[in-house]
Amino acid sequence: MLSCREMSELSSDIMESHLSLKNRWAVYMHLRMCPRCKLYLEQLKLTAEVLQKLPLDKQPVDSAAILKQLKLSEDLPGPCNKTAYARS
Amino acid sequence: MDDEQALLKRLRQGDKEALEGVIKLHHAFLIAMATPLVGHELADDVAQETWIKAFSAIKKFEGRSKLRTWLARIAINEAHAIRRKTGREVSFDGWGHDQGSPISTRFNEQGAWDAPPTQWHYDTPEALLTEAELHECIHKHLHKLPDDQQSVVMMRELGGLDYTEIARALNLAEGNIRVLLHRGRQRMHAMLNHFEEVGTC
Repeated sequence: MLSCREMSELSSDIMESHLSLKNRWAVYMHLRMCPRCKLYLEQLKLTAEVLQKLPLDKQPVDSAAILKQLKLSEDLPGPCNKTAYARS
Repeated sequence: MDDEQALLKRLRQGDKEALEGVIKLHHAFLIAMATPLVGHELADDVAQETWIKAFSAIKKFEGRSKLRTWLARIAINEAHAIRRKTGREVSFDGWGHDQGSPISTRFNEQGAWDAPPTQWHYDTPEALLTEAELHECIHKHLHKLPDDQQSVVMMRELGGLDYTEIARALNLAEGNIRVLLHRGRQRMHAMLNHFEEVGTC
């Protein structure tokens, strides 16, 4: 039987389906009867989603100046002679 | 066509506004991600090199990953290249050491909740992020995370990189990366929880 403390330690693994076979059933049973751990897990998931969707364009960035600087060193967008990053 | 596909189309055409727009969207992320890898002074160089490489290869970017993830991959390679070129060693000593659960005091001796989680006002990321004050608070607390946790959270949650890539970039085992990410999430959860309960950062 897993304790709530152990459940909190496993919560990222639960979110990412990275549980050992041994823990899978124990986690499932614990979540069925423990609304507190269920809520913690939901909130941790929400925290991850908030970070994934966090806008980063609120900070002042002088994009025109950066682009100008880049254009001094290369013609942009240049010919695709660099293939290292092509297939992502 | 979603926003990113539309943006990519314009980038491939060399649309100046789109080039500026994409810099505005991701430059701060690239700097924040590169800083622990090369130090503060060289992070700008990493970002510059990343843009040069990215813009010259944009026509071949197939869009199978998110644009930011692709940029993050380039930035990590550029950070390594700059480190090699400058002979600069950045110390990752102590990275990956687990500092333990930040919520251990919320459990009793038997491991049951003493201070259980309480309901938040919002239950979607979009709803939570409508509060401008919360944005600032998240940024502030992201920077307050221990360096190793901050780096992993940036690469995984904000950058969308997978565990293998992060482990390689930071020269740590995947198991360490998972623990660091979990601790980082727990700390950021504690921050959000405080904001939801008290209403201030």
